[in-house]
Amino acid sequence: MRSSVSYILSTSTTEPNMSHPDYEQISHDHAALLILVKHIGSQLRPKTFTKFYDRIAKLNQVKITDSSGQVRTIFVRYIKEHPVENNDWGDFQTHRRLIGLVSLGKYDSQTELNEVCRVHESLKVKYNATLYDSRSILFGPTKDVDSPVTDKSSGSDCSETKQESNIEKYTTPSNFKTRALFYDETSACVDLENQIVEFINSLFWVLESKRLERSREKLERVSLLFAPFEKKDFVGLDMESRQNKKRCTGRMTKHLGDLCLQAGLVSESIQYYTNAAETLKSVNDWLWLGAAYEGLSTASALVLYPNMQRSEGFQRFGSLPEGSPKKANQEPASSTPTTKKPIANLLNPDDISKRYREAIIHYSKYQNAGIVETEASFKAARIAVEQNHALQAASFLQNVVYINLALSEQEKIQRFETLAHLYTQIGFNRKAAFCLRLAATRYVSPQNPNPNWNKCYSLMLQSLSGHKLILDPIEMLEADQGWPTLQIQILQDLIVAAKRANHSALATRHMTFLLQTMWSHLNQTEQKELAIQLQSLSVQCEGSPVPLVLESGIVVPPANLTDIPVCLGFVLKDLKPHLRPRLIEQEKEDMGPFLFTPIHFGSLDRNKDKGDPKMEFLWVENEACEVSLKLSNPLSFELKVSNMRLLTSGVVFESAPETVTLPPDMVTSLSLTGWARESGELEITGYSTHALGVKSNCRLKYMTNHFPPQFKVDVIPSLPILQVSTSLPQSASFSNFHDDSIVTSAGLSLYHGESAQCVITLTNTSDIPIEMLEVTVNSILEPQLQNEIFQVDLEQVSLILPLQPEQTASFDVKIFASANFLAPNSAVSPSIPQDLNSGMFSSLSTSLPGNSSFSRHNSSFRSSNSGQSSLAGGLTALFQQPLSTAAVEAQLKIRYSGGAGLQSGHCRTSTVFFNVELMPSLHITNWDVLPAEKNTQFYLVLDIANLTTQEMELEYTASKHMLIEGQESCRVPVPVDRCPLSKLSDFYEEADQSKHLTDINRICSEHISELVKLKWLLNATDSKGVASLKGINLNTRMLDMVRMSPLEWEVKINGDKFNAQEDLSCDAGDCMELQMSIANSLETALKELTLSIQFYQDYNNGTLNYRMDTRLAISGASKKILSSLEPKNAANHRCNVVFFAPGLYKLDIQCYTPDGGSTNTAPLVSTGHVWRFTPPISIQVK
Amino acid sequence: MAVCAAIVGKDNSPKFFCCINPDEELTFQYKVLSSLDIIEEKLNPASKSASEMRELYLGQLYSLETCKIYGYVTNTKIKFIIVVDSTNMALRDNEIRSMFRKIHSEYADMVSNPFYIPGEPITSKSFDSSIKNIITGTV
Repeated sequence: MRSSVSYILSTSTTEPNMSHPDYEQISHDHAALLILVKHIGSQLRPKTFTKFYDRIAKLNQVKITDSSGQVRTIFVRYIKEHPVENNDWGDFQTHRRLIGLVSLGKYDSQTELNEVCRVHESLKVKYNATLYDSRSILFGPTKDVDSPVTDKSSGSDCSETKQESNIEKYTTPSNFKTRALFYDETSACVDLENQIVEFINSLFWVLESKRLERSREKLERVSLLFAPFEKKDFVGLDMESRQNKKRCTGRMTKHLGDLCLQAGLVSESIQYYTNAAETLKSVNDWLWLGAAYEGLSTASALVLYPNMQRSEGFQRFGSLPEGSPKKANQEPASSTPTTKKPIANLLNPDDISKRYREAIIHYSKYQNAGIVETEASFKAARIAVEQNHALQAASFLQNVVYINLALSEQEKIQRFETLAHLYTQIGFNRKAAFCLRLAATRYVSPQNPNPNWNKCYSLMLQSLSGHKLILDPIEMLEADQGWPTLQIQILQDLIVAAKRANHSALATRHMTFLLQTMWSHLNQTEQKELAIQLQSLSVQCEGSPVPLVLESGIVVPPANLTDIPVCLGFVLKDLKPHLRPRLIEQEKEDMGPFLFTPIHFGSLDRNKDKGDPKMEFLWVENEACEVSLKLSNPLSFELKVSNMRLLTSGVVFESAPETVTLPPDMVTSLSLTGWARESGELEITGYSTHALGVKSNCRLKYMTNHFPPQFKVDVIPSLPILQVSTSLPQSASFSNFHDDSIVTSAGLSLYHGESAQCVITLTNTSDIPIEMLEVTVNSILEPQLQNEIFQVDLEQVSLILPLQPEQTASFDVKIFASANFLAPNSAVSPSIPQDLNSGMFSSLSTSLPGNSSFSRHNSSFRSSNSGQSSLAGGLTALFQQPLSTAAVEAQLKIRYSGGAGLQSGHCRTSTVFFNVELMPSLHITNWDVLPAEKNTQFYLVLDIANLTTQEMELEYTASKHMLIEGQESCRVPVPVDRCPLSKLSDFYEEADQSKHLTDINRICSEHISELVKLKWLLNATDSKGVASLKGINLNTRMLDMVRMSPLEWEVKINGDKFNAQEDLSCDAGDCMELQMSIANSLETALKELTLSIQFYQDYNNGTLNYRMDTRLAISGASKKILSSLEPKNAANHRCNVVFFAPGLYKLDIQCYTPDGGSTNTAPLVSTGHVWRFTPPISIQVK
Repeated sequence: MAVCAAIVGKDNSPKFFCCINPDEELTFQYKVLSSLDIIEEKLNPASKSASEMRELYLGQLYSLETCKIYGYVTNTKIKFIIVVDSTNMALRDNEIRSMFRKIHSEYADMVSNPFYIPGEPITSKSFDSSIKNIITGTV
């Protein structure tokens, strides 16, 4: 568009050209009367002035009926400032002339009034050359109600006395020759508009008269009109030449066009302009030709677009969405012309732009017309905007940039701002942003004598939207658009501007924003540099997560560094197991009629879990809760994050600040603690940090790692805390139990049969009394055995309650090392679980001779060699085994609660872990029963092995002690009372087959274990214990011995009562008399008894010789059949014996029921049962 | 030949930017960004007739003192922008057009790469070098 002959025609001039561009002009201003509205005096407040200015400015179109009765529309333009130099171009374009002056002033006293009037007069003098008329609006003091008298202003055509009811009487000075309008600033000032219209009327008539005066001049005689810089060019030229005459005519015609346009005669003006253009074109008067074209265009635009308006300020910036540059208030251009009569030579819309383009090209040939060209470009652009030709508008605006003007920086800035504004109007937001940025840089350019960083900053801020920068980092990250490279640059510039403008808070904020939003687009060095910059910025003003409100009303939302440091993990921690609240009563889940339903595992349930990140555990009021974080430092230097706290909503939560130093590129774990101060639902939404000098609220939902937006956890009312300690040393290991509520442990080693006591001490460390306490023992043992090993004094426990804060109480737990001391001769007793008697026993059972050695009726256990040897072999095997110990693990669960927590049904559990090591003490490897001296007793012969390594003192009866060396065994006889018949009576009386031998066995073994307590004492460790024979297993032979015989024997030899174990001797050949009586001590009669007497010899080598025919002779029956023996009855038998040869003879007296006898008998009286007289009588024959 | 070429996605985010002189990249980015306004205006369907829509080449977007900017838009609204030094008077419109066509086919090849995620910035080195070759006219 720029003419290539640019500057050719222009001369370098020192004359003042129009140096104050008016960027706000629109083409309609060509038709307007220019009125200056001036604020004078210091009394009037700017706000009041603005209020009145706005009122006046509304009167921008006035309809005036001219002398011929035609209604003309007069446009008025009000301005607040007008450089007087601009009047110089009044001949070139008449709308540049200031023709009216309205001053607004306020006074309180006469002197002030005088001063205001003086200023007004001086303004009149200033614009004297062009001014037609003026008004002064004066606001007086309000206190008085006197009717004021105003001086007549002699300058005006009609003088008038303004009267306002409440204006004090003041008089304007005599030299004040202006019509003054007195008002009270607080009143409505109803006639202000009328006064202004009247004023405009007066201006119009002056203008109209001037126009008529001009139009009546002969075109041939007119003087040449100049643009200010042209004056010199025509010096010395022949003004009378034909060329010049034409020039004069053309210029005057154009001037008339201007006047007509201003006077509301549009069609006339178009005519004038068209003529002028023709004339001027012929004389190559480019500057004026351009002006004529411009006039033509503006007049046409006025017809076509009568409603085109100056758009208001910059407030609507960026409100137009991209791609829709069209304004809402735009009127269809076609509607107006239809109502008007067609005007000759009216340009159509396309031609307007074309003519404007030409005009601009012509202007561009003159350097001094730069401002005119600039203004024309803007005007043309505005028309193009009106026409909806964005590209055309853009090209006009583009042209502005090329115009080289010697402008002040302020004006350059204005130019860019106007450009930006217009670019925004056509929807070129990026271009607008670019211009704003240029404007911003101008404010602080080195050429600018007064750099203004504040303005620079605010313009920079406005330019952000054009670069798709949204100040809210959250939105910004979501939108993720724009050109990152440029955005980074712009943000950096913005930060510098903010810093220089001393908005350190904003600088910090923007830097935070830059780091937060542009992180991924920065390389590592940039990241580091920016982070360091932020650190230094935040030294001046710490960043905090509050919105900053600028003076302009723009709100800068908080920027949070959610990713410095990066949070990799965010896990709410349950309380420590022993502090975890549990429900006191476990509600039974209503499972419906089905024990198992797969519906519960359906997708519905699982989805619900996902949607609601509610924790399954509970937190307790006033108790430290923990959230563990995994943080990583993305920067390449060490990062110190201080004051980390949890962000919560819901119940009141107090978070403890945490400080952590993060080494670069390493994941650091950290836990944040806090206390809920209320019960209810707590939501944890994130955490706050203080890193790089910036406080940030890092919300989970805005973090790059996708966390749920918040974590919810229920907080229950506070519960007491109990500290538990034991009197025993801590156990070394907690193995099998996966209950984590273990607070302490107790380990001890006990020998089998030993017992110990453990004192559990409870201390209430909280300030809530404990009102509930439950103690239970848990283990994998069978309940019976468990109760045997652990005995809790529950009575003592119940006495503890309530346990007040800071109080201590204790209770005892008795621990007994219960064990099976017996070698399993046969099936082990059902009361001892298999796991207690571990491998050792089973291996023993195989190596021991078992029942086999007892199968022979006559064999004596004591004399059995094979038994001995096999026992010895078994023992070796026993001792050779590593000293194996069994460990019993158990938990002592203490459930307690109190205070508000108890009300809500929660309690806590502390567990004491017991690890009791059970070491074998002694072991009964074998046993047998022997007849005792007394018939009411028998000897229980026990092989006792000391499995310890120490010497053991064994007290097996009340008076008898024995020492057993470590790892050795010995045999002890224990006299035991026989099992009385009363215990067994059932078995004799009832013929019930269901009672088996095993039951008898059980009763007998219980009888033995009741009576036999083997007390042992380890001398070295001074530990002592009791071994019981519980579960001892007896075979039938033994059982006979153990229980009292139902038959009472009385044997007399040679008339003397025979006592057991008594040795008898006689000589061979002597006759010995045997006399015996059997009494039935049962309640029932015994049938079919056979009493037999038999002699035998025991060779002590396992051989028993029953063939005694050659050695003795019996006179009398050796057998006697008793058909029935009634209860309490006795049967007698008598016989004699003669020994033929000396030797040791034994006499066996027995009583048996015959085989295949009566079937319907009780089990113990079953067929083939034999009762013997024990012990056998031995007779030494010499 | 040309001094700069850019590929801009349909959401107006930069996909590729290459500059003969890397120091000037920022200023060129500003220029290219501003030219997007004009491209958008030109693509505005209200101001277009059907026949014009078929033409991918947009012509000169605007000229500055130092350079001229040309635009080209694919049917999927991917914008190619070439910046030419305004002192280079020898370059004719046809050459610009052919340059755009070459870039377009190069881009089509590039998008066909299964390892390229559409919409992501283009980082391929071979693409970069071939675009550089096209704009410097060495192809």
